[in-house]
Amino acid sequence: MIKRILDFVLILLFVWACMILGLWLINEIVVPLEIPWIKNRIVIAIIKLVMSSGLALLWLWLWREIIKRMFWHTLKTHKTLGKAEKQEER
Amino acid sequence: MISEFVTLIVGFITSILSMPLVMKFMKKKGIVGIDMHKKNKPAIPEMGGVAVIIGIAASVVVASVLTSEKTRLLLSFLASTLIAGIVGAADDLKPLSARIKPFLTLFSGMPILMLCTYDPRGPIFPIIGRTRLTIVYPLLIIVALAVTSNAVNMLDPFNGTMSGSCTVITITLLISSLILGRNDGVLLSLCMLGPLLVLYLFNRYPAKVFSGDVGSLSIGAALGAISILSHLEMVAVIAFAPQIMNAFYGLSTIGRLYERRETARPVVLLNDGRLMATSDPKAPLTLARVILAHGPLYEYEVARIIIILSIISGILAIFTAYLIKVTV
Repeated sequence: MIKRILDFVLILLFVWACMILGLWLINEIVVPLEIPWIKNRIVIAIIKLVMSSGLALLWLWLWREIIKRMFWHTLKTHKTLGKAEKQEER
Repeated sequence: MISEFVTLIVGFITSILSMPLVMKFMKKKGIVGIDMHKKNKPAIPEMGGVAVIIGIAASVVVASVLTSEKTRLLLSFLASTLIAGIVGAADDLKPLSARIKPFLTLFSGMPILMLCTYDPRGPIFPIIGRTRLTIVYPLLIIVALAVTSNAVNMLDPFNGTMSGSCTVITITLLISSLILGRNDGVLLSLCMLGPLLVLYLFNRYPAKVFSGDVGSLSIGAALGAISILSHLEMVAVIAFAPQIMNAFYGLSTIGRLYERRETARPVVLLNDGRLMATSDPKAPLTLARVILAHGPLYEYEVARIIIILSIISGILAIFTAYLIKVTV
């Protein structure tokens, strides 16, 4: 029971820490970003939006990959799986 | 503070009195659902969420009498809840398609926009502080309520999981409102808390009633509305982590919006009454399936783990509220 909860606690903490780190990156790097050769403010705003959205998507992708790998790894290594599947209700 | 306490009590009493009547009515009309995770497959009265809506409505009416300056805020909160509830009731009586249901829940955010009860300046983030998303924010409100209502609906597989985890989220929003001094959040959370506690008492293992989509969609929309109306958007994102995880994994594995009845079952019932994660690659990767990857468990054990995860998310969400307080 504790192992199952601990796995998720670690994932939650990782995801939460990544979110805070992402917000810090947006605040410190993306928002003050100035590109000298681009003068148009709208283009710069769009670049900032794309960068922020990219970070958010990376966050979601990381979250999904961790869970996917954890699930299939745990399922494969679980020895009782074969036995239990035979008991499966038809 | 007395008016908030009265609101909580009224919501609780109204729900606890109306729940047995709703159960009796649903049983009489044959609106029952089969508890698939029990060996004897009992028929349980559906649409217990109606009693939650009655409780919320009663507490909102009392709150608007006691705090008349907040009538508009309370009205938008109740209207959002009711719209999602109507969509849920329609789905309970005649199942809607996997695309129509989320589309209809988009309308639950409309009362907040129409009554202008949101802060147009945009959400407040930890570290970043206040943002100026004046154009995008109204669109986000509409999407946010549809996301919360459907995410809550998707995490309702076992007895007590939805009602328990939503009670934890409500308490999280209440504590966060107290930390950040958001009086509206305190009032709205207390309007929700009484009816939700009643639902948990009746819905916990072994369930005497199912909330139905009328309950899960309306509760999800109400929680989404609280987070928008009391400016707790980021706190809610963290508090909703188990629901987001569950919905996101499911959608990403199936690759489209889906209904439970349309896909392979992620969890199967063993002869000894325990639940086991299926190894079918076509089944959605739900939170319950990931929990059960370590081996079979009884239904009440899985439900307990999901509620514990909600509590841990709640603690992180409260810490996020503290970070917002420090930032702003």
